[in-house]
Amino acid sequence: MSHEQPNPLDHPEVRLASTRGYLTGFLISVSLMALSFGLVAGQALSAFYGRVAIATIAVLAVLAQTHFLFHLNWSETQRWHTLGFWLTIPLLVLLLGLSIWMFHSLDARAVMSGVG
Amino acid sequence: MKSDDTESEDTGGIVLWNDAHPGPDMISTRTLGFWLYMLTDAMLFASIFTAYAILWHNNAGGPGVGQVVDLGYAFGETVLVFASVFAFGVAMAALKRGSHRSVVRWIGAAFLLGAGFLAMEIHEFAALALQGIVPERSGFLSSYYTLVLTHGLHILFGLLWMAVMVAQVLRQGFTEGVVYRLLNLRIFWHFQALIWVFIFTFVYLQGKL
Repeated sequence: MSHEQPNPLDHPEVRLASTRGYLTGFLISVSLMALSFGLVAGQALSAFYGRVAIATIAVLAVLAQTHFLFHLNWSETQRWHTLGFWLTIPLLVLLLGLSIWMFHSLDARAVMSGVG
Repeated sequence: MKSDDTESEDTGGIVLWNDAHPGPDMISTRTLGFWLYMLTDAMLFASIFTAYAILWHNNAGGPGVGQVVDLGYAFGETVLVFASVFAFGVAMAALKRGSHRSVVRWIGAAFLLGAGFLAMEIHEFAALALQGIVPERSGFLSSYYTLVLTHGLHILFGLLWMAVMVAQVLRQGFTEGVVYRLLNLRIFWHFQALIWVFIFTFVYLQGKL
């Protein structure tokens, strides 16, 4: 260990906090969710296009949060956070996609119509 | 993240310990470790979302999602959880300035907003349960309760953690240990906003499409 303890408040993880960034993240998240809310409550779209629209808006909100709240970028201090996040995405897609596909085809083949 | 892989044929030249090296960076390693833990928490939520995606049509003759959710109410919860996350962010900006009073005050604001969210959620589910809309009624309701209340449980633990951190800031000040725990709580708390985006979109909004 070093002789003089560095001030923990000088650490890059502390320095990256920004009120303006958090406010931007908050405003973008709330606006996007309000947009989704308006689309669904106003019955503006069919079920299919509505689903595509709200899913797209959710992805945009999450991307805004990864930038403004989680500070995910490829800088020296944050790159492993970012890499971990992006490598988790395929795991989530496989977990969700394969399970839903499996149960969907199980339902289609094994369950009597009208039951369940 | 530096490694001293000095390859050398001459074993006498191997440096076993570099006195000038400041040692492991505790704040970096622990925030990265906690972030990876939160990503495994995302896997937990993905599993419950999967169960919900499979079961949400199985209302077994009971109420469907359209009769259970109230979009306006859920949007109110959305604003509260995002506002709480923002307040915690402001507390982190105050930490950067080294202001104990601001940190405690803004964590207090994040706590109250988070508690407001939790109170709304408890009210929402208590009203459902009083109408006999309980988890054992159908596959849809089991997965709905599990998914939304797992997030609610995270909020509850986040609030407990905030209370502990306020006490630690007041008693210990900004030591290295307190600072990394505040940073981990930031990751934990901000993550709840991210999960809520999916719950609001794929449970509440999709239920009304």
